Amino acid sequence: MDLSLAIFVQIIVAVLLIIGLMVGNAVVMVYMERKVAGFIQRRPGPYEVGPWGTLQAVCDSMKLLAKQVFLPGNVDFILYYLAPILAFLPVLLLFLPVPFGPILTPLHINEGIVLILAFAGLGVLSNLLAGWSSNNKYSLLGAGRAVAQTVAYEIPMILALLAVVLQSGSMDLAKIVGQQGQYPWQWNIALQPLAFFIYLVSLVGETNRAPFDLPEAESELTAGFHTEYSGMGFALFFLSEYANMLLVSFVCASFFLGGYKGPFLDGIWWTFIKAYLIMFFIVWIRWTFPRVRFDQLLNINWKWLLPLGLLNLWLTAVLVKFLV
Amino acid sequence: MLKAIWDNIKGLYSLLVGLSITGRYLVSPRKTIHYPRQVVDDEILASFRGPLELTRGRKEPGQTRCISCQMCVRACPGHCLTVIKGDAKAPSRWIYDFSLCCLCGACVEACPAGALAFSHKVYLVATSREELKLDLLADLKARTEKEAPPKNE
Repeated sequence: MDLSLAIFVQIIVAVLLIIGLMVGNAVVMVYMERKVAGFIQRRPGPYEVGPWGTLQAVCDSMKLLAKQVFLPGNVDFILYYLAPILAFLPVLLLFLPVPFGPILTPLHINEGIVLILAFAGLGVLSNLLAGWSSNNKYSLLGAGRAVAQTVAYEIPMILALLAVVLQSGSMDLAKIVGQQGQYPWQWNIALQPLAFFIYLVSLVGETNRAPFDLPEAESELTAGFHTEYSGMGFALFFLSEYANMLLVSFVCASFFLGGYKGPFLDGIWWTFIKAYLIMFFIVWIRWTFPRVRFDQLLNINWKWLLPLGLLNLWLTAVLVKFLV
Repeated sequence: MLKAIWDNIKGLYSLLVGLSITGRYLVSPRKTIHYPRQVVDDEILASFRGPLELTRGRKEPGQTRCISCQMCVRACPGHCLTVIKGDAKAPSRWIYDFSLCCLCGACVEACPAGALAFSHKVYLVATSREELKLDLLADLKARTEKEAPPKNE
């Protein structure tokens, strides 16, 4: 009884901290995204609000909070209001098994990566519900694309992660990080470069980011599945998109880049530095590559990532069987 | 088959090239000029086509070349020009309503005397339509007084 109460309290505290992390992450990412976009296009980005435009995200969120929540006609309003909440809530759970620091893991779960992959699937459901309930052709097309894309990109993602799981013999993220060393050549990326590459590509596809942002392709579908959302509904989608990006970056850092381990001194800062470097990379490729066509998107997945992932998994299994 | 695979792998290299270009732009200096704090150089403004102005006379820089032939008034699609002939050929009033002007340049091309040109005024501001009815003769006079001794073009 005491034990379960302790775990309950631990989960509550962890979820509260994770909400803080999500909101802080959204503020940082809004600023970083716009600033990087500006610098790549040789303009200053947000500049006028606060020193170097640092308060821009605060202004944006105030605007979203104060905005009218507009309900278009002919929507299925239960699903319409359920979808943003459903996008937001699973993300809270996803951060639980991530080892942020040597002792700071919100909840030790033996099959942490299974939990992450299982609940990450709920995000697609929210996109589908949002697109379906909006009763709008653009939203519906965006939702259809979101489902086809996310379901497809989950497979190479799992195959890439499974290779690392086979190699380290554990599904616990903390154990996988614990087996890696302090220096880059001791990280899993040195042993699994192909898996890292596959994960990096499917991570962009999984989070619906450019160049794989087909579900919300502005030039084709206005805003895709969240066309009809305004105010806080849109803000929740926005928040969960950035939180999903952060999560896949944390998983990437833990699986391939040694998590909290790094030169000089292990600690929580290494996790965050690595995760935000990956986030920066995602933003960078967003402002570099044009959007792919939908058949190209699925061809990359089914013709390249999936066979390569299977090959990599098979090689890893053989090597683990005969060498270890 | 093999060639298709090889082409795809070569395609990865072009992705790296793209990343390096945007990466270079990311760290190179910004091009934007923060307007109220900084202003654009006059050299860059030389190619700016702002509101019309009267060119200076060939012999007398303070006088206009306008011969009040009304060609510009007829050419103007927005009806923004009003030229009133004076005693001689020279106009007595030359009113240009910038609020109606679309900067098409038809008047500049139509003028047989070469009396019209685009100015380089970027910072023209007005709070009412009346203020945008510009008296170009007064403008020419002001410019001549400002740049004394006047140059002969």
